[in-house]
Amino acid sequence: MTWAIAWRIARRDLNARFRGLRLLLVCLFLGTGALAAIGSLTAAIEREIETNGRTYLGGDLQIELWQRDLTNEERAALAQLGDVSAGTRMQAMARFGEQAAPIELKAVDKAYPLYGDLTLEDGRTVGAPGSDEAWLSQGAADRLGVAPGDTIDIGTEKLSIGGIIADEPDRLGEGFQLGPTIIVAEDLPIRAGLIAPGSMYQSKTRVRFTQSRDTEAVGEELKQQFPDAGFDIDTADRAAPGTDRFVDRMSEFLTLVGLAALVIAGIGIGGGVTSYLDARRQGIATLKILGATSNDIARIYALQIVAATLAGSLAGIAAGIAIVPLLATALQGLLPVSSGVIIDPGAIVLALAYGMLVALVFAAPPLLRARNFPAMALMRARVAPLARDPRALALVGGGLAAIVTLALLTSDNPMLSGSFLAGAAAILGLLALLGLGIRRLAAALPRPRNPVARNALANLHRPGSSTGALVTALGFGLSAFVLLAAVQSAIDGNIAKRVPDRAPDYFVLDIPRDQVDEFETLVRNADPGASWRMVPALRGSVLAFGSEGAMTRTADLDEIPDGAWALRGERGLTYADRLPEGNELTEGTWWGPMYAGEPLVSVDEDFADAAGLKVGDMLTFGVLGVDRTARIANLRRIDWESMGFNYVFVLSPNALQDAPHNLAATVELSRGTPTGPLLQSLVAALPSTSVIEVGGVLEQARTILEQVGFATLAAASVAVLAGLAVLLGAIAAARAARTYDTVILRVLGADRRQIIAMQLIEYVALAATLAVVALGIGSLAAWLVITQLFEFDWLPDWGQVLAVLGLGVFVVLAFALGASMPLLRAKPAQALRDL
Amino acid sequence: MQFSAPCHRSTVTNSQAAISARNLTLTLGSSDAPVEILRGIDLDIARGSTVALLGPSGSGKSSLMAVLSGLERASGGTLLVAGEDFATLDEDALAHARRGRIGIVLQAFHLLPTMTALENVATPMELAGERDAQARAKAELEAVGLGHRLDHYPQQLSGGEQQRVAIARAIAPRPDLIFADEPTGNLDAATGHEIVELLFHRRAETGATLLVITHDPELAEHCERVLQLGDGRIASDTAA
Repeated sequence: MTWAIAWRIARRDLNARFRGLRLLLVCLFLGTGALAAIGSLTAAIEREIETNGRTYLGGDLQIELWQRDLTNEERAALAQLGDVSAGTRMQAMARFGEQAAPIELKAVDKAYPLYGDLTLEDGRTVGAPGSDEAWLSQGAADRLGVAPGDTIDIGTEKLSIGGIIADEPDRLGEGFQLGPTIIVAEDLPIRAGLIAPGSMYQSKTRVRFTQSRDTEAVGEELKQQFPDAGFDIDTADRAAPGTDRFVDRMSEFLTLVGLAALVIAGIGIGGGVTSYLDARRQGIATLKILGATSNDIARIYALQIVAATLAGSLAGIAAGIAIVPLLATALQGLLPVSSGVIIDPGAIVLALAYGMLVALVFAAPPLLRARNFPAMALMRARVAPLARDPRALALVGGGLAAIVTLALLTSDNPMLSGSFLAGAAAILGLLALLGLGIRRLAAALPRPRNPVARNALANLHRPGSSTGALVTALGFGLSAFVLLAAVQSAIDGNIAKRVPDRAPDYFVLDIPRDQVDEFETLVRNADPGASWRMVPALRGSVLAFGSEGAMTRTADLDEIPDGAWALRGERGLTYADRLPEGNELTEGTWWGPMYAGEPLVSVDEDFADAAGLKVGDMLTFGVLGVDRTARIANLRRIDWESMGFNYVFVLSPNALQDAPHNLAATVELSRGTPTGPLLQSLVAALPSTSVIEVGGVLEQARTILEQVGFATLAAASVAVLAGLAVLLGAIAAARAARTYDTVILRVLGADRRQIIAMQLIEYVALAATLAVVALGIGSLAAWLVITQLFEFDWLPDWGQVLAVLGLGVFVVLAFALGASMPLLRAKPAQALRDL
Repeated sequence: MQFSAPCHRSTVTNSQAAISARNLTLTLGSSDAPVEILRGIDLDIARGSTVALLGPSGSGKSSLMAVLSGLERASGGTLLVAGEDFATLDEDALAHARRGRIGIVLQAFHLLPTMTALENVATPMELAGERDAQARAKAELEAVGLGHRLDHYPQQLSGGEQQRVAIARAIAPRPDLIFADEPTGNLDAATGHEIVELLFHRRAETGATLLVITHDPELAEHCERVLQLGDGRIASDTAA
């Protein structure tokens, strides 16, 4: 039989609305739709960053430096490339009467913005404010309780509020901030006494190219031209690297969850195809009697399944693409997303490929079974199940290998993806074994006397029951819910419970060295029981590292080694004559107080390991344009959770103390001491300092984590939906048998209450078992994530976890009972006629 | 094995009637295309009698049995079964009414495949809440000659054995009424003969009223009374 004739026969038999294959359609719709939505959304975000990268960055290229501006030579080099706009960013304090608030001070020049428009709430499009004026973000205005026309103090200067910012074009490129933004004129920080040698500020200089250039190449040239300048260069195609990395990781994670959901849906596909072919036994037998070979049968029904697969997958992909604009609207303000429909061929092809592979893996076994047996055996299949075809193993194995290979090849982090897939496979395998165990246990249990209970128990293990598939699908979905609820609540628990015990009340930045006594007096006056810790605070970049005489220049590296993140850009630097609190020496020795020998540096052991450094090697830092070289004297293990100042590099005092710098401090007040008075007195007496309330920062972190949690919960919901699709499919597949039983029981005198009880007993038993199992599996997985991956304390909110699990179980039961309702409507006499 | 002797047609009073129907009608289908199945049946069946219901296909035999046994609600008329007005009962009440009082034997046996022979027979008594259901089921299966098949599932039994189980299930609760719809329809002649003997023997021992639908004239001859149905009406009513 040719494929054309096979298709002709297949088309005749295939119902126009795919009756009998609807479960396959729904499962593929859900799975491929989720993958297409995730892929398209990622593409929409990437496209937005690409299209508007210049606007987000504020230029084609940006150079950031800590604690200094560009030299004239450096600035001249940029001016050759195009229009230049310079500015400053720093933490500062704004005051209005008794109110004081930490802010992100953004000083800009008259060229700002190079791209995009800065607009105010009153509708004006503006540039840099006047010398005695400021534009406030809404957050800053709310915090201070001010409005346009009011006057605020920043440092030693008074500024009139000229307007409230409506749209700041380079907001995304500014990155995470510790306070709301206030935009001021370029020279304000100096006039206000905020910038002095050693002050912690960042200069940002942007360029708008006058002709088309390869931004990456330009960036490399500048690094080569000024190798010791310590430039941190961003280009428009990577305008928001932090956002980029976040989006990549979230997309990868959500894709893996979507893939897991598709695999669960595959269970439904397998069940649906089995039922479909089972219902066609007579037709298949007839075709064989009429002369069709096994290959002919395989072709005919494979074509039907492929047609349904394509229909379901394409519909899902279309829905996935269509939902992206809705997601974009929901995400506005959080992430940059292109508006409108985004058609990303890569995402579509990938979603389709996964859909086809999953359909192959799960449809192949029943298709091969139906293909291989003689007509008469097919007619007896209702009593004797068809034997398995060994070729199915090869097809299933090959399909699964292709899925895993595809997932790994398209992943930026194959190790992580591989671990996720391995974990998911282990859980699915465990659940499959559990399903088998439940069937065996149900068969082995003593038979209840009550016929309703007896029938309910029998439904769990009767031939053809879908107990195994249901346990696997629903168990995985409910476990995913428990995992996410436990992880989210544990992270929250760590923040809420541990951090307040260990976190200081304030971080105070930019304390001038000659005002230390004044600072200490203010703190003691506010709270005699207060404690504080002060460290010198500088910034610099690692220019070179390695063994003496064979050092590697950071600028020459193609890629920063994994884990050696401290090589990237500028880092906090400090010096100390004692080993810092919360640090443990693991190798080498510490220089003592009054050390006056060769400059030495202490390095975080993890960084040293990643960069291939050992005690005795050398590091060269660029600090305020001056090279400082030190020998590694020891390695340290840092307790990053100590919530204090933790530095990857701590130098001996003689290496750095002559560089201009200020001090930073943490302050812990006695329990119950109000924080407001100290904040006001610090700001009034030390106007150049910035005071950051830890509580506010934690609130920001908590909000971000909640948003991330919401996104992952939404992804996990797809897994539960897939499980529900499998549940509905299993109920539909068993409908004939259940209708039969229900009718006979009604004939024998069972009323509706007893029929409902039969359904309830079966599904409650299954749901209760799954809830316990899901709690165990989900909690174990969450424990691994929290304690081994994040290295947090295990602090889940069990109330929240159980509530989420309870909701999931309720939804499952509601679906199961709802789908069973038609059984009650079957009138005995009518049903007997149809049996 | 002896059958109950044929008797003459008798005039049955309401108080003696196991079933009493007046102007019974049944209409099925949609309001746009109604189909009148029963068109005014008047019928009295005496307690303890045996009645055969004959008629061509489509005459309404199975539908009449469904109405009389409470599996279907009549569209009109009155119907007293074992003293209970079936016309006023809803589905659940009809189910309750069937428990323990009406036994039904169907052509295709319709045993529950997930239950053993013993469990199938015990089920109607268990639904009625009777505590000694299993013991009585065992006794009934032994009475029908299947004492050695208690733990067998329907698919492990022959057609004749399955029908024996169905008869045991119908009779074990000691119902007032037994309805049998073509009980030998799916059986070969020899087995069918055995089943008929068994059914009438067990009926005689319990004294239940028996209504049998059949195409088999030989079976009909074993009944005291023969009702001939035609086009939804009783065409004739004779003593066997």
